[in-house]
Amino acid sequence: MTTITAFIGRVRASWPWLICAAGMVIALQAAWIPVKAQVAQIMLEDAFDRSLTDGAARKPWPWADTAPLGKITAHRLGVSEIVLSGASGEAMAFGPAAIADGGSSGVTILAAHRDTHFRFIKDLKAGDELSLQRVDGSIARYRVAGFETVRWDEFGYPANGHAGLLALATCYPFGTDTPGPLRRVVWAELLI
Amino acid sequence: MRRTAVTKSRRIAATVAILALIFAAFQTASVFAAGGRGAGEMASDQRGAGRLMLRGKGVADEMPAMQLGTDIKVKVNGPVARVTVTQAFRNTSAGWMEATYLYPLPDDGAVDSLKMVVGQRIFEGKIKPREEARQIYEQAKAEGRKSGLVEQARANMFRNSVANVGPGETVLIAIEFQAPVQQLAGEYALRLPLVVGPRYVPPRSLMNERGEIDLVQVADAANVTAPLANPKLGSKLNPVSITVELDPGFEPAKIDSPYHPIKIVDQGAQKRLITLADGEVPANRDFKLSWRAPSGKPAVGLFKQEHAGLDYLMATITPPAGKQSGPALPREMIFVIDNSGSMAGDSMIAAKTSLIYALGTLRPQDTFNVIRFDDTMTQLFSAPVRADERQVAAATRFAKGLDANGGTDMLPALRAALVDRHGESRNSIRQIIFLTDGNLSDEAEMMAEIAANRGRSRVFMVGMGSAPNTFLMRRMSETGRGTFTHVGTDTEAVREMKALLDRLTAPVATDIKVTVSGASIDLAPRELPDLYRGEPLVLLGRTKQLTGTLKVTATIGGKTWTHSADLSAAAASESAAKLWAYRRIAEIEAQRYSYELDRETADAAIEELGLEFHLVTSRTSLVAEDETPSRPEGATLTKEELPLLLPAGWDFDTLFKGQNAAAKANPELAEQSELLELPETATGFMSALLAGLLLMLIGLFAAAVRRRRMIAA
Repeated sequence: MTTITAFIGRVRASWPWLICAAGMVIALQAAWIPVKAQVAQIMLEDAFDRSLTDGAARKPWPWADTAPLGKITAHRLGVSEIVLSGASGEAMAFGPAAIADGGSSGVTILAAHRDTHFRFIKDLKAGDELSLQRVDGSIARYRVAGFETVRWDEFGYPANGHAGLLALATCYPFGTDTPGPLRRVVWAELLI
Repeated sequence: MRRTAVTKSRRIAATVAILALIFAAFQTASVFAAGGRGAGEMASDQRGAGRLMLRGKGVADEMPAMQLGTDIKVKVNGPVARVTVTQAFRNTSAGWMEATYLYPLPDDGAVDSLKMVVGQRIFEGKIKPREEARQIYEQAKAEGRKSGLVEQARANMFRNSVANVGPGETVLIAIEFQAPVQQLAGEYALRLPLVVGPRYVPPRSLMNERGEIDLVQVADAANVTAPLANPKLGSKLNPVSITVELDPGFEPAKIDSPYHPIKIVDQGAQKRLITLADGEVPANRDFKLSWRAPSGKPAVGLFKQEHAGLDYLMATITPPAGKQSGPALPREMIFVIDNSGSMAGDSMIAAKTSLIYALGTLRPQDTFNVIRFDDTMTQLFSAPVRADERQVAAATRFAKGLDANGGTDMLPALRAALVDRHGESRNSIRQIIFLTDGNLSDEAEMMAEIAANRGRSRVFMVGMGSAPNTFLMRRMSETGRGTFTHVGTDTEAVREMKALLDRLTAPVATDIKVTVSGASIDLAPRELPDLYRGEPLVLLGRTKQLTGTLKVTATIGGKTWTHSADLSAAAASESAAKLWAYRRIAEIEAQRYSYELDRETADAAIEELGLEFHLVTSRTSLVAEDETPSRPEGATLTKEELPLLLPAGWDFDTLFKGQNAAAKANPELAEQSELLELPETATGFMSALLAGLLLMLIGLFAAAVRRRRMIAA
């Protein structure tokens, strides 16, 4: 009995500090997300450069279950990100992920978080140039053709392949922080 | 002591608070630095602008001036269904109209009759070479005479045109075709497709090698597409009524229509009259009717017909099934799985589920290999290995690890699969099972490869997903003497795979040979396919004289099986000759596709068969014309292409959202859309961060208040 009473007494004495600690854990976990996103990009950049010289995909860290697929660059905005193969939630913590990859002759669809890697999407304009450099060294250049707002489960892309399309998908609307059903999709066409 | 402790904790709290504030300020600043809502975003925001790639012949938002009603009458007589499709074109406008309507028929439906009915007068259609028929139609149209034309757009897709329908007038176009009743594992089935689904036309298929627009290809693409009706027009558009007179030659049991409610009326012991319970239905999904023989024992069907000095035979024979005399033959099974980008999502899951299920059914005496391909290819084993526990487990792990990615280059995988190290072996059978959506453009190369190198291998195509290239897969399996199975969804995958593998594991009847009184007979197809459990042997043949006995020999379970039938017992049939011709035409089409026949030879052969047997083919059309003009000179003729309903289950809004107006103005070609679920793409770290900081502030505030109280006390 006495031990329990003592415990309750101690909790009553220090509850402000417990709340403070809990807040700190939550805040640090949240703060870690953008930090991880940035740090992973640095390591991925390195893996991508190694992949480029070898011509084969190299893992960014030994236990990674994903590898760089290429590098997406938005020239006007001066942003570039390393794209990962496979769209697991885990991959998207580190960089944009290819959820469909039809090569430069097909439809390639990249997805990333609106508050980390694809924050630049809201600044893209029609006519902006994007380029996707793959690990084999090939560079495909695209021009932004239009934007589309669509529910996550109503997105459609041309079946049976389509000559050179790139789609960048992220959550919508921008500026809010709660998850929702809408997605913003940027469509870009291959420049030949 | 106490004082120093308080100072220390205060210092820590202050430090944490300052750090947190710095962090929050930094994050907020970077969010605002990023510019809030981008300037360009609103300016170029056209909702659905990206979907402008999904161009169609457009969407019909209003009822067409020419209204259409369809009545289908089916007479099932033994193994054949004779179907009359009557389309009533009613002109509700005040002008003179020409209408064209694209509609589907069963793959094996041979159209042989056209009647155009105007008031009391009936005009019989004549079979003519395609261009000549078109010319007759165009000339009648220009001269103001009524005319009707039936053309084949694809083996299972036809287009009717009718010209010079006066204001308020109704013209009936009645076509007739026959199709064999499908029979599988004791079930008899009739499937009538009622609508043509929108076809995807890859833009590159409209170009020639030099990158210029190929007008022949553009015309072909326009021929297989039609405008789509806005669903708000509802079922008033193209209503269909269906009546089936079922006379299967035995008392039908378990009559079932899975997609439409039906009414069944008994008309004697063996005859049934089946109508739609709802009267009329919208033409937006296939009608299927199935029935069974009461005893479960299939009737032996033997029919003959004389046509132009030759005797035609149609026979349905069911070889002994399920008799496992001795051990089943060992099999060499090659699984080829498509993990290209187009498979991403449900198709890939269904393909993996199917493959893992199939691997589990291998028996120790079997050998197997797994090949995966996208624009690269991997063979799991360098050569087929025994299906022992360890190897099957390795293959299952390999299957589980597959991800959909990259382009679709099937040819290297097909070549690898066709390599047969024991080509002459009679002691095992070799089966290649393809799991793919077939979304590729070099189809002809696939056919040619199979035709040239199939050897003893049998090719089975399993089509994955909601929109596989069925045309390619049906032809590939036909050329590879296998079968085509469609697996729609993940839940269907195991059931469909089980049905296919059950058929494949059962003893097969191979080397089927047929003679009539010791002489050979001209069969269609010339090479009979292997039979799997539950499949009947359907013979279509012709010979100079059908007398004496029909003898069928086959190898079943390593032993020779013989079946004889007395041909004098054969019943007279009116469709044996036409069904033979239509099957032969399908074979020639396949040979043209696989380059076994050159284009001119194949076209000539098809035209000859079409004219001789009065059939609509890729080279022959039916045309009917009135001799006297009805449209007054000077009155203009308006052409209208009738819109089609979207197949049930397709989402109109998804296909056409936000682009109806643009699409209507743009008479380009329909493309099909592939759905893809977009992942959750918001980490929401800012709200979590703010929540955490808020908690810290509350804690600090509470601590400060408490501290003050303690000092006061």
